[in-house]
Amino acid sequence: MSDEQNKAAVDQSSPLLDVQGLSVSFGNSGDGDGGRLIASDRVSMSVYAGQTLAVVGESGSGKSVSAMSVLRLIPTPPGSYDAGRIVWRGGREAVERDLLTLSEKAMRGVRGREIAMIFQEPMTSLNPVYTIGEQITEAVLLHQDVTGAEAVKIAERALRDVGIAEPVGRLKEYPHQLSGGMRQRVMIAMALACEPELLLADEPTTALDVTIQAQILELLRKLQVSRGMAMMLITHDLGVVAENADTVAVMFAGRVVEFTDVHTLFERPLHPYTRGLLGSMPVLGQKVDRLGTVDDNATIPADFPSGYTVAEHDASAAGTGAYGGEGSLLHEVEPGHWVLCTAEGEGKPTPARLSGLRGAAVKTAV
Amino acid sequence: MTTTATQLGQADGGPDGSAPDSQTPNELREQKWLAAVGQRVLGQWGGRIGLVWVVLLSVIAVFAPFLASSHPLLMTKDGVTTSPLLEHLSAADVVLLVAFFAALLLWVVGLLRPVNAAFGGGSRAWVWVGVTLGAIVVCPLVMSPPPLTVLSQYREAEAAGELERVVFTVLPFSATDRQAERPTRDKSFRPPSARHPMGTTLSGADVMSRMIHATRVALAVGVIATGLSLVIGIAVGGMMGYFSGVVDLLGMRLVEVFSAIPVLFLLIIIVATRDERNIYLMMTVIGLLSWVGYALYIRAEFLKLRQADYVQAARAVGVSVPGILFRHLLPNGVTPVLVLASFGVASAILYESTLSFLGLGLVDEPSWGGLLNEARKAGTHWGLVWFPGLAIFLTVFALNLVGDALREALDPRSVK
Repeated sequence: MSDEQNKAAVDQSSPLLDVQGLSVSFGNSGDGDGGRLIASDRVSMSVYAGQTLAVVGESGSGKSVSAMSVLRLIPTPPGSYDAGRIVWRGGREAVERDLLTLSEKAMRGVRGREIAMIFQEPMTSLNPVYTIGEQITEAVLLHQDVTGAEAVKIAERALRDVGIAEPVGRLKEYPHQLSGGMRQRVMIAMALACEPELLLADEPTTALDVTIQAQILELLRKLQVSRGMAMMLITHDLGVVAENADTVAVMFAGRVVEFTDVHTLFERPLHPYTRGLLGSMPVLGQKVDRLGTVDDNATIPADFPSGYTVAEHDASAAGTGAYGGEGSLLHEVEPGHWVLCTAEGEGKPTPARLSGLRGAAVKTAV
Repeated sequence: MTTTATQLGQADGGPDGSAPDSQTPNELREQKWLAAVGQRVLGQWGGRIGLVWVVLLSVIAVFAPFLASSHPLLMTKDGVTTSPLLEHLSAADVVLLVAFFAALLLWVVGLLRPVNAAFGGGSRAWVWVGVTLGAIVVCPLVMSPPPLTVLSQYREAEAAGELERVVFTVLPFSATDRQAERPTRDKSFRPPSARHPMGTTLSGADVMSRMIHATRVALAVGVIATGLSLVIGIAVGGMMGYFSGVVDLLGMRLVEVFSAIPVLFLLIIIVATRDERNIYLMMTVIGLLSWVGYALYIRAEFLKLRQADYVQAARAVGVSVPGILFRHLLPNGVTPVLVLASFGVASAILYESTLSFLGLGLVDEPSWGGLLNEARKAGTHWGLVWFPGLAIFLTVFALNLVGDALREALDPRSVK
């Protein structure tokens, strides 16, 4: 155990998951060159061990597509992975693993075991014909060499870990007998039963009411710290970002427009879209007639306004010209702060680990 | 991970292993789902009546030799007590008995723990299938029932007073036991009487005995033909639905080809052009031709379900394609097919009866349709029409009732 920790400490320098220039597109059903929709365009982001990366953006900005691509869950006849690499556990293994080129069989070993995912809709993400117990034990039996009875024990403990009272009885219940918050807890238990190193949480609280949202996020935070697990949290709630994230990737129209640590993002947002997004948030105690809005209705890269200039959104000194369009890339405009813009030099795909963050601080405290 | 495993192992071996913990996941599911559906089916009078009739027929089919046989159950001759009935049981008889008692032990008595302990897990259904398949393989190899004997020998011996003691079955006539004691051509059949409750056929065989033994043919054709078409339909439909695209395109063409074939006429042609009548050929042909409906249903269900969130979730957990197809999609998509299957059993039984009625059924083997065919001939008594006719009618009706009740029970809108 201490060995593992030492090893993890050594490996902090390279990201656990490194998405490099990922492009994913979807075709119109099979009629040749009928124009492909690019859902995710040269997306780069990285998650370090034990940290939380929040991916923010409006619906259709490519957040979910990027997360699904990590587990390669996009059905490939309509979708296709056009470019990029997804390096998993880079620098920790002898052979570098690119999740995009891994065989389907190897991928099945990664899914659930090394990277788990929880979904937006707990009401429909559990199979209605199986009990909670069966669904958790299925995940356990797939990845761990245990007997059925042991798997039941593990499932029981997983339910207890996510704060479900009377796990023994719950194991025998069907999804329809549970409330939404309970089901999301079960989903989390299922995802964490095999102790993955990275959890992809695709809007885990969107379908839940506000009090339950807070509980679930608190639970995720607690479990993350106790297990030293990394998390990629997809959300469109900036409040959730502020409270949970170490680093943030803001996505817009299929592109990552800004990538930095959470403090920098809220204090010094540089990309006009990020500024617009933050400007649209109500501030407590401040009276305004209308909240600010982001007017650019682009949801696919083709619509990305190429003349996305600083002037439109309260200019700052950092930008140098256009903040969008084909030629723009992620540039490190100040240490630890990447912005999509046209600047001199190559875009840097892999930001280094950002220090002084909540997750890291908590971890050392533990 | 290894530490947890050993800890768990210890905890398991400990004295506090409470009962619910030791149940396997399969057990949990089976009980709940089957129980719920069963209750809803039994909650309707149609389902209740239909099921009672079907279960009654199954019991009659399994115990046919013990209900009607010319072989005595027990016989003492020259101080030696034997059981000719048991000695003359065929391999098929024993297989049916094994399957029946295995089901009884597994579901009614609940004898799963010891079996599980011996073979390491598995649901009851699989244990039952294993036992039955084992019996099908082993019985014909091990058993060697004596070749056909003269069935009337026991009666003659009894009449001659050679036997010290003899116990017959309730109806002491085998289905093929022709009592042509008075082989007068004009009056070889007898109307119902105390000795023959349903009369005899033209050749002097007991009608009731033939009715009893015919349940086997009817149910076997129904179940096996439908089982075969279910397997084909689910496989083809499942692939069409899950993979869609080219697979779907090809599958649909196959479906179109098969739905264009008139089953009954092809059956008649195949059966009529072959010299020997073979029940298994009949089942195979019916099975091969009636899978289209199942495939279409399964395809539609899978097309809908493969987009479901829980299927995505299962993939995210690392479940393989067969696992997703059979463990996650099938149980959710199979319900409309189950309803269709109970109608399928009824129609397969009708096919067999029709063939037999047309004189294309099995030669000499009892069959309801065959009895009806005989009733067509001049001068026979009324029982030959009514008894097999009613049996066919009631069985098809009962299966349709079960199908209807199943549809009700599985329809989420009707579940309160």
